[in-house]
Amino acid sequence: MKLTEPQIQDLYAFTRQHFVEHYDLQTELVDHLANDIEEQWQNQPKLSFEDAKNKAFKKFGIFGFMDAIEQKQKAMNKRYRGYLWNELKKWFELPQIIGTIALFLMFYVAFSSKYTAILTMVFYVIISGWCIYKGTQLNRQFRRRKEISNKKWLLEELIFKQASGTSLIFISQMYNVFTIPDKFEINTLFLLLFSLAFTVLTLVNYISLKVIPSKAEKLLNETYPEFSL
Amino acid sequence: MSNSKLYKGSLTTIILKLLNEHDKMYGYEITQKVKELTKGELKITEGALYPALHKLEAEGLLDVEVAKVDNRLRKYYKLTETGTKETVNKLEELAEYIKTMQALVNPKLA
Repeated sequence: MKLTEPQIQDLYAFTRQHFVEHYDLQTELVDHLANDIEEQWQNQPKLSFEDAKNKAFKKFGIFGFMDAIEQKQKAMNKRYRGYLWNELKKWFELPQIIGTIALFLMFYVAFSSKYTAILTMVFYVIISGWCIYKGTQLNRQFRRRKEISNKKWLLEELIFKQASGTSLIFISQMYNVFTIPDKFEINTLFLLLFSLAFTVLTLVNYISLKVIPSKAEKLLNETYPEFSL
Repeated sequence: MSNSKLYKGSLTTIILKLLNEHDKMYGYEITQKVKELTKGELKITEGALYPALHKLEAEGLLDVEVAKVDNRLRKYYKLTETGTKETVNKLEELAEYIKTMQALVNPKLA
């Protein structure tokens, strides 16, 4: 005996009730439960759908789907970081490295001038202002995508929502930005490191808020074969 | 299987070995295959299987494929090139472990 379409939908609802938010993991677990139920029906054809479902779920142990959810989250974060890293590496290869060096020099010259404090502030405001603007825009885009598809994908959420997380790191360094420039006169190494940090943070923000979201469809299709199904 | 702790460390090796022999498999199929091969002696729990599969996927050892079967979607796992190489390493490690245990438990055989 095979499961009917409404029963499959019931299983999707069941995974949602057990805190599986994302469609890819839901799909995998629904197939697993369905297989288990069908197997049970081979031996006990009279067993009700509800009983068979609960029996199948019990096999996941007391934590239910929790371990699977957690591991999936970890795995997807790792994948996202991988994408970020791959894009960042490109900025240290030709031809982009020219832009990276120019950016670095700009920060270096600016921070070593006598207007350090003001220029730091200006850069800081421009970068964080842009990050907030992009972050809000992506969030809005994500909501619109949800309205259309009604399915949630973990990687999609990372691309559109968590992207602003990196910029938060930048924005949260407010205090340091105001105090660090005072130390530049005494230490060139410090100045170099500070310029490098600004360069890398600018790149990371640009990649996570602009480059990766623009490649979202490609990355989602690569990650989820069922994305376009 | 009452003492599943003994098998725990070998779960990934078991998964890799099965996929090495079967081209592509889905989660439920893996649990059933292990049950069948060990005549019910070893049951991979669902709670441990999926986390292990997702970890291997994140490490780049497994690749996924999705197909529509009956009225639902099924996710298949298969080894990547790195996965195939890693399988050889893992199996060697396991063989080495079995040999060591053998020497400890039954010195006459070793």
